[in-house]
Amino acid sequence: MIDATDKKILKEVADLEGMPKGAYNIRKNGALLGREVSANINIEANEKGDGIIIDIKPGTVNESVHIPVILTQAGLHDVVYNTFNIGEDSDVTIVAGCGIHCGSSESEGHSGIHEFHIKSGARLRYVEKHAAIGEGTGRRILNPTTKIFMAENASAEMELTQLGGVDEAKRYNEAKIGAGSVLLITERVMTEGLQAAESKNEIELAGTDSKSNIVSRSVLKGDSKQDFYVNLTALAKCYGHIECDAIIMDNGNNQTIPALKALHPDAELTHEASIGKIANDQLMKLMSLGLSYDEAVNRIIQGFLK
Amino acid sequence: MLELQNIVFKAPDSDSESEAPSLKTIIDDVSFKFESGGFYALTGPNGSGKTSIAKLIMGINELADGKILFEGKDISNLPIDERSKAGIVYGFQNPARFKGTTFRDLLSIASGSDDEDQLAHIIARVGICSLDFLDKPVDSKLSGGEIKKIELATVIARNPKVAIYDEPDTGIDLWTIGPMVDLLKREQRENNTTTIVVSHNKAFLEAADTLLLIKEGKIGYKGDLEGAKPILEDLSVCTFSDACEGEGNDRCYR
Repeated sequence: MIDATDKKILKEVADLEGMPKGAYNIRKNGALLGREVSANINIEANEKGDGIIIDIKPGTVNESVHIPVILTQAGLHDVVYNTFNIGEDSDVTIVAGCGIHCGSSESEGHSGIHEFHIKSGARLRYVEKHAAIGEGTGRRILNPTTKIFMAENASAEMELTQLGGVDEAKRYNEAKIGAGSVLLITERVMTEGLQAAESKNEIELAGTDSKSNIVSRSVLKGDSKQDFYVNLTALAKCYGHIECDAIIMDNGNNQTIPALKALHPDAELTHEASIGKIANDQLMKLMSLGLSYDEAVNRIIQGFLK
Repeated sequence: MLELQNIVFKAPDSDSESEAPSLKTIIDDVSFKFESGGFYALTGPNGSGKTSIAKLIMGINELADGKILFEGKDISNLPIDERSKAGIVYGFQNPARFKGTTFRDLLSIASGSDDEDQLAHIIARVGICSLDFLDKPVDSKLSGGEIKKIELATVIARNPKVAIYDEPDTGIDLWTIGPMVDLLKREQRENNTTTIVVSHNKAFLEAADTLLLIKEGKIGYKGDLEGAKPILEDLSVCTFSDACEGEGNDRCYR
């Protein structure tokens, strides 16, 4: 059974009003809360029993899998190893996410170690949201790791979002992109108070005509801190771009370190990065359309993190 | 309707040789009354103070002295958003570019509605933007002409009593300038919009009922185009506007 807090978390991280349609696996406090498989999507525990294996049959189209995680138990630090096998020529959406409800002074944490094997011609959209709520004072910690292996002519769009309540986050993304495959990663992180978030990315454009676009949008409120690192390495004729922007609202501090490494003469790699306050001309424009200063700030941030 | 009373604007003097920060007078004791429903063109050499006057009216620049009255009320100390709510709207010379904000977002804010039909109606009324513009992000990928059309549409979407357009033709192709002038004239005629255009462009100067020729922070001439022609022939042609326009760099290289 899911209670009111679970419902709130599911809404927050997976946009679910109740149990999802299609295949799903809901994990709560380190144990299985509910699972449903479909004709084309199988979910089962891995051999060690410390995670699940999600198999998507070749040719599966327009199906989705929800795999949210709920954490409400004080002192629990849950680590889970999940493997996703995305079959040839399939086209699916996976909605993951972790929501922490902290009601005590003890810390709570979740580390989701996800490994994706995206087969030839497959298309994946992966949406992951992290959030933490609750009146407790314990630290809320989320340390996700995502490893992506893409075969040929596959495409993956990863939306990784953390919009509040998480005290400490250490993210690690790693990808190896095969010939003709395209990987888009968009990371959106908002921190406040004394929160800290770090994201490290190792992206390898391994196959001919592989493409990647890594986008990071950071908003720092209060005294929070965010660091973003990307190493984009080209081993073949390929195209890669990194775009990282950070808006510092108050006294936060940010490091953004995009690195491009061309180990092939036909690699085309570019990056753009910016850190700063909200641009004055944006505020003026929205105020000239009738928004107050605070409303204008909110609209700009909303759009930036959209 | 809109009255400038002895307005003065000062900005930090970047040319000053003294170490102490000093201020330079950009607008020097200007008074003028804009009548309701009139079409005014502010013109003059680069760095003369045209944009500064327009920004003072919108509240983007702060008055050093004098008063601005709008519909009988002193708006000199009102912030930008309150002047906008009172009915004054400004189309920027270099419109802001955003990340993640679309034309639809701006148009919804401007018109106060996100209703699809209403937005389509505004686009039809403006005429120079196509419907597929709606979901375009207003970011650095837009061309100079596209962003100026969007800027103009957001001003019109507010149904302003006073619409100020700062060099609306920058980046616009020659074939669009005619329709743009027609649009502003139509808005003036049908909605009685008091229209103030900062421009060097002959098409806008011809469209205006009254020309204000700004020179060295003062109104050098006010009246019709005929009367201004002898002075304009001397002053108006400038090919350096991109290089030296704006109060950030208030120098004329002519």
